[in-house]
Amino acid sequence: MASLSSFFVLSPRGDTIIKKEYRFSFGGTEKDLKSSVEMFFRKVKFWDTSKDGGWDGPDEAKPDQDEANDSHDAPKVDAPPVFLLDGESFLHIKRSGLIFGCSTRYNVSPSQTLELLAKIAKIFKDYCGTLSEEAIRKNFILLYELLDEMLDYGYPQVTSTEQLKMFVYNEPIITAPLVSEKQKGGNGKTASASSVHKPVSVGGVASGKSGKNEIFVDILERLNVLFSANGYVLNSSIDGCIQMKSYLSGNPELRLALNEDLVVGKGNGQGYGAVVLDDLNFHDCVNLSEFDGSRTLSFYAPDGEFVLLNYRIASEFRVPFKMMPAIEMVTPTKLEIMLTVRNEIPAENYGANVVCRVPLPRATATVFCEMVGGGAGVEQAAEHLASERVVEWKVKKFAGASELSLKIKLSLDSPSTLQTRKEIGPISLGFEIPMFNVSNLQVRYLRIAETSPSPFRWVRYVTQSSSYVCRM
Amino acid sequence: MPSKPKTAGGSDSRFFTTQKKGETHELRTDLHSNDRSTKVDAVKKVIASMTVGKDVSMLFTDVLNCIQTDNIELKKLVYLYLINYAKSQPELTLLAVNTFVKDANDPNPLIRALAVRTMGCIRVEKITEYLCEPLSRSLRDEDPYVRKTAAVCVAKLYDIAPDLVEDRGFLEILHDLISDANPSVVANGVAALSEIAETSGKDVMKISTSVLQKLLAALNECTEWGQVFILDSLSKYTPADGREAEGIIERVTPRLQHANSAVVMSAVKVILNYMNMITTEDTLRTLTRKLAPPLVTLLNSEPETQYVALRNINLIVQKRPQILENAIHFFFCKYNDPIYVKMEKLEVIIKLVGERNVEQVLLELKEYATEVDVDFVRKSVSSIGRCAIKLEKAAERCISVLLELIQSKVNYVVQEAVVVIKDIFRRYPNKYESVIATLCENLETLDEPEAKASMIWIIGEYAERIDNADELLETFLETFEEEDPSVQLQLLTATVKCFLKAPEETQEMVQRVLDMATEESDNPDLRDRGFVYWRLLSTDPEAAKAVVLSEKPVIEDDTSKLEPELLDTLISQIATLSSIYHKPPEVFVTRANIRTVTEDDVDDYEYEDENDVGVQPSADGPVDLLDIGGGGDMNGSAPQQNNGGGDVDLFGLDTGGGAPAARPTCVKTQVCDGSQSGGIIINCGFMQTNGSVSMELDLQNNGQIPVTTLAIQLNKSAFGLAPTNQQLVFSPPIAPGASGSYSVGLTVTPNMMSPVAPGSAAPPTVQAAIKNLSNNSVFYFAANFTLESIFSPDGALDRTAFINTWKGIDDTKEVYSTVQLTTSSIEAIIQKFASASIFQIARRPVPNQPGQEVVYFSCKTMTQHSFLAELTFKEGVMACKICVKSEATAYAALAKEALERCAK
Repeated sequence: MASLSSFFVLSPRGDTIIKKEYRFSFGGTEKDLKSSVEMFFRKVKFWDTSKDGGWDGPDEAKPDQDEANDSHDAPKVDAPPVFLLDGESFLHIKRSGLIFGCSTRYNVSPSQTLELLAKIAKIFKDYCGTLSEEAIRKNFILLYELLDEMLDYGYPQVTSTEQLKMFVYNEPIITAPLVSEKQKGGNGKTASASSVHKPVSVGGVASGKSGKNEIFVDILERLNVLFSANGYVLNSSIDGCIQMKSYLSGNPELRLALNEDLVVGKGNGQGYGAVVLDDLNFHDCVNLSEFDGSRTLSFYAPDGEFVLLNYRIASEFRVPFKMMPAIEMVTPTKLEIMLTVRNEIPAENYGANVVCRVPLPRATATVFCEMVGGGAGVEQAAEHLASERVVEWKVKKFAGASELSLKIKLSLDSPSTLQTRKEIGPISLGFEIPMFNVSNLQVRYLRIAETSPSPFRWVRYVTQSSSYVCRM
Repeated sequence: MPSKPKTAGGSDSRFFTTQKKGETHELRTDLHSNDRSTKVDAVKKVIASMTVGKDVSMLFTDVLNCIQTDNIELKKLVYLYLINYAKSQPELTLLAVNTFVKDANDPNPLIRALAVRTMGCIRVEKITEYLCEPLSRSLRDEDPYVRKTAAVCVAKLYDIAPDLVEDRGFLEILHDLISDANPSVVANGVAALSEIAETSGKDVMKISTSVLQKLLAALNECTEWGQVFILDSLSKYTPADGREAEGIIERVTPRLQHANSAVVMSAVKVILNYMNMITTEDTLRTLTRKLAPPLVTLLNSEPETQYVALRNINLIVQKRPQILENAIHFFFCKYNDPIYVKMEKLEVIIKLVGERNVEQVLLELKEYATEVDVDFVRKSVSSIGRCAIKLEKAAERCISVLLELIQSKVNYVVQEAVVVIKDIFRRYPNKYESVIATLCENLETLDEPEAKASMIWIIGEYAERIDNADELLETFLETFEEEDPSVQLQLLTATVKCFLKAPEETQEMVQRVLDMATEESDNPDLRDRGFVYWRLLSTDPEAAKAVVLSEKPVIEDDTSKLEPELLDTLISQIATLSSIYHKPPEVFVTRANIRTVTEDDVDDYEYEDENDVGVQPSADGPVDLLDIGGGGDMNGSAPQQNNGGGDVDLFGLDTGGGAPAARPTCVKTQVCDGSQSGGIIINCGFMQTNGSVSMELDLQNNGQIPVTTLAIQLNKSAFGLAPTNQQLVFSPPIAPGASGSYSVGLTVTPNMMSPVAPGSAAPPTVQAAIKNLSNNSVFYFAANFTLESIFSPDGALDRTAFINTWKGIDDTKEVYSTVQLTTSSIEAIIQKFASASIFQIARRPVPNQPGQEVVYFSCKTMTQHSFLAELTFKEGVMACKICVKSEATAYAALAKEALERCAK
């Protein structure tokens, strides 16, 4: 165990925006950080599986294959987050298009290093309000000041937003959030805690009167569901978390209560209808002394965004959307795909920004899409993206307890074979359901001690698709 | 929005405006301004210039001047500037040292800490004069912020002046910090101590019972980063017994529920390492059950964290498959997983697949094989083959899935399938030939050498069951000259097989191929093999049959093929980079003192993918495909000029091409059987001649390419061995089929000593990594060391010293054995011992035991461990009793064995 040699932030084009060196290379061969970062960026940008053997061991052992692999012009591939380059290990993560990376010559804990990078990115975001190249460039002195407190000699130090406030004197310069991020938030109701673009207030002296006294709580569930071609659920799981963003003044103790009948761990399940979590874990700040008895967590919320707890559910649950595809061969060169999607959540809820993608066979010549049902109230559109060979069907607002269908008529260059039909699918569905969660995990209450005036509490439930796929 | 307009307004980006002439002057004026905000702005501008790489050192004194201020913002800015300069221009920063010393006494703890932190970054010897005083004061500062900064500073100082740190007692103070009331101080104390322990090789982080308790108590209080440091220290501790291990595990288990994946991983590491000590079945079962959910939960984190988790899980399932035996479906790929996660999931799936879940797995793999990413599809297809090789009962099912995939006619799917089907044939010979017909329908799709070579091997192997085998080969022969060498070699062998099976139809073809191979090709391997066949066929077709068509060894399931010793090393390295690369840390953690090979050599060290070896024999070069049984030495190097004498000579010539035979005093054992090393078989032994230690290697090259230069690296061992020269140059090279030997000079150095855990015996093995510089393949072996090889010539003691030492060593530290001798002459033994630097001290008859005599000896290793021995002889008996006494108890058993060997 030892520490990092350098830390850096790169723009999407590979420019170094922030860099900091902690250790020097030894043995007299002092390498320029700049050139090794450039080398790193090239590696990440043009990761080549056939040569670097990132996951398949060294290809040196089978040089014969190189030529063959070159002949497939492989699509661009994500580089693994950890690799060895010229005697140094490089670890990196990507956030908002930026690369947060570091190098080390020691046998460090990679999880620790990656968590640290994520934490630095989070702190940067907390202090700048948004994470973008512009925001970082404008606030670089503040960020260097923060970095000096977060890393000493390459060891992680203080990484909590509110503790850092005591040591930091520069103030943030606000930049407008990226347009894309704004759009991602969709309509006002679905905006998650993380879409609040407001830097935490800074300055040991300056704090106090700044900003509103409020706290955001998101119960966020991401669904992984795999359907078979006939609509059965093959595999499903929920990745859930309770995410918070605190702008509370003072530092009051918070008490958050979950369902009383919450059960942790399979096999411990008693009581029908109880919420059964397969596993859960907690943020550092949580005091669990009352958790076993009353399912209540007490904690002092760190400033800025943080994940209070993560949970995982692997048992079956009622899926919000069902997909029912059917393929019909009209003539050997004409296929018809009929896709019905049913929204099974209660009628008062709805799915927002539902995007359905249907991959088409290579032999596709022309495509005609027809949306069935829905009526005038439904804002929807289907488009054939020829370059990606998919049909993308978007429904802005998909009402609960309703059903929509899409008919895709294909004509093919060559007669349909078994293989042609195999190339259709898997069909993926992306969506977000505001104010709804599948697991039924609830926040019974959130109490804030010493409250006058009472702060605003924004509790929101959001369900999102993670990998929501139907095989054909 | 809560932001207040800045004092100077605007954004920092304006500081990046280009620096014109005269601007330096302007900045200088501003730095000396009386207005605070002008000063602040000026310093910011200087820092901006500095971060874009401009030289602003001419303003150094002017900036430094600004440090004399009560304004903390300004002071911090100046420190920001200084800390950057501290690294790149230490001499200049030294000018500010008086300010630092003064600031280290500032009433504001923030300033005190800043001063200490910055001083620590000035990496010149001279700073130490100034640093010690403030540092020792800061370590006891009332403010935890200052203490934690000082703790890190000790590690910084150790890097410049280790002796000073020890002399001033800083290490003891660090130890005290472990029980500090403030968690951040504890974390930094542990981190600093651990790093010093690691870099110095000294046991400064020694965990005693009281330290253990302190660490466990701190674990609950510490920051998440501190918890990782503490857990990592705990993982290096060896509990006294199972009870203690259980106790610690109990304290560590709650960490598995931490949201920070690093804490979870390090907790898993501690538990896995301690599990070896636990014998109660119940406890083991409980632990096994507890470990599964947190490991699975890691798969829901960010993809980067998942990748780290998966590489670790890959090791964990090899060591303790029970943990995740019921969790295989969690490793099924999601369509939006990044490719590097998918690839690792496949590896884990293949390790977990068993008869119970193979159906489910095959369904998944079949789906993956239709995805878009070529690499992923290929690996999925080959994984189906690996399932077949692993699970005999599922083989048929796997083959039918592969055939289905071949029907897709997707070029790379077909090729990958052909390659794995060849492996399946090698695993289950003569069982699934019915699929050959389907394969033959797809010949035209094959354009990759590996797939072609595999297909041709199948045709040759099963020629008698393929109606038109000769015609099929004929189609390949049309392009013989353009083919890859591996395909050419395969074609040659397959044609010969075909000929031996049906000589009438293929006489002309074999003649043509042999002509092409021996006369038209300039590839020596191909020519050589051509000549071998030619002679075999012309002299004795029956012998040719026996050789070429001999029974092949069946290949084995490869899914958990890490060598047990390497696996254990890697398990102890869970949650480190080592577990990502699947290499022991010495291979990639580069330290100045062990680097003598060129940088590239070391950096390129890559483990051969443990998973590919075996299933794809072609990775070792085409030699496996030749498949003339275990007789690999028949493959190579028939000198072209040799045109008589028949086959006996031919093979006789293959051996003995190498260096002179090794000296007889060194007993060698096989350490490397060629399966992982590209066919290089190694016998290894150790000896000492004229005071120099060496590692004696006998190499037998059963590979396909000549061995010219190897690079060797030794892992740290209990004997502190390092090669004097890491490059082993073979001149002349060892041709394929030939053998040679090499004497690797070794030095004994404390840097290469791995400390032996208290209470345990020193492991007798020396681990070595060898890289073949001709093809950059790397392989590993472990050899048992013979301790007598490092017995030092100055190991004799005088009588009094001997007696005193003998008496001073507790009887419990004795080890005994009885050894059969080849002589009953005591003198002969004394002589043998003397030549091995084991010195006679005294000899006397045993009182009251007529006919018995005892002889006392002493010896000392170059690593300064002394051993005293008592040998008891009985007249006329060809045996003696050996008793060894030593304070170096860890080595006593090895010394006893050394004596036994020397006595024989």
